Amino acid sequence: MEQTEKKTGWRWGVHRWWVLAFIIIGFYAAKAYPPIQPHIQLPAENVFETGLTFFGQPFYITNTILAMLLADVIIILIAIAIKRASMNPDALPKGISGAVEGLLEGLYNLTEGTAGKWTKFIFPVFATITLSVLVWNWTELIPGVDSIGWLEPAHGEVHGFEKEELWSGFYTIVESDEAVVADDVHAEDSHEASNGYLIVPFIRVASTDLNFTLALAVIAVVAVQWMGFKALGPKYLTKFFNTKTLFSVPIFGVIDFAVGLLELIGEFAKILSFSFRLFGNIFAGSVLLFVIGTLVPVVAQSAFLMLEFFVGLIQAIVFGMLTMVFMSQATESHGDDH
Amino acid sequence: MEGSIVIAAKLIGAGLAMIGAIGAGAGIGIVVSGAVQAMGRNPDVTGTIQTNMILGIAFAEAVAIYCLVVALLILFVVGN
Repeated sequence: MEQTEKKTGWRWGVHRWWVLAFIIIGFYAAKAYPPIQPHIQLPAENVFETGLTFFGQPFYITNTILAMLLADVIIILIAIAIKRASMNPDALPKGISGAVEGLLEGLYNLTEGTAGKWTKFIFPVFATITLSVLVWNWTELIPGVDSIGWLEPAHGEVHGFEKEELWSGFYTIVESDEAVVADDVHAEDSHEASNGYLIVPFIRVASTDLNFTLALAVIAVVAVQWMGFKALGPKYLTKFFNTKTLFSVPIFGVIDFAVGLLELIGEFAKILSFSFRLFGNIFAGSVLLFVIGTLVPVVAQSAFLMLEFFVGLIQAIVFGMLTMVFMSQATESHGDDH
Repeated sequence: MEGSIVIAAKLIGAGLAMIGAIGAGAGIGIVVSGAVQAMGRNPDVTGTIQTNMILGIAFAEAVAIYCLVVALLILFVVGN
């Protein structure tokens, strides 16, 4: 302990100078091109047109699909790195494989404490959902996400911004009072030309798309039902249609039956609460990052990026853990004791 | 100018929708208070208590998230 304390003096580290240089660059960049609050839109924007049709609707590649594919590529790269690290059985796991091993061990112990003998069926679902939601949420922290994209003319009642050429063919948007004034003057005759431009980002966090979180929630709830049928067989249905005491016990049989129907409604409520929880947290987080980036563009954003880091982690763990607990609840037989 | 009263009503409505977050805040406080007391009394079962505490927090938080989604819908979807 004393030996390590002696060594801690002033060190000429590299990373701290990188941080300082980025802060100074960020300060000058914020002076040169003041950040403007982007147009916040709930549905995902279309980035590419594929020309295909899906049930008669044109099928677009949205920016949340691109973010999901990017996160999937990251997950596959991590898997390849871990595979390569585990080829050498003597070496201690370190770096990213050590981190993932620690995370998986924690998740496994948690599952074993809750699910018992069904761990080997529940753990893969739990770990897959947790790890993928974690990476999907953390794509929010990559620089350039939500800020680099096509420049498109604003239409409708949305006010756009002036564009200014940065490079040959690369533009940025700047705040300009004249665009808004011109829009007010002849809004009727030529609002498309005077309305300014908006950025349609290439990549927007997948969890900020309600379609995506709804699909994930449906997968989780279907996995819960699958686990119930696997553990209890057709008897699992008596949890919802409880006819066991309907005719034998006078009044409470009917009440038991009604409680079973409420459980059935509860399964559908699970889908809603799963999807809204993930979507609400991550979308509110990205709106928070937009607003803070507009108000205090230089240093304060780092603290909020840290906050979003934790929110992404906690939401991934909560999503996975709720799936795990619901699955292990579904394995428990309901009506044996009463 | 005739749109401004609509914008004002949207902002007030979003603010009113977020009142529901009071309940979730109080609920999460009660959950964590009980869990910390239990952990102090019996540190051996910290893991189980933590799991159930996070579950309880997630359920209580869901109500606040519904309010948040309603507020976001009012702000960014209704009338746009």
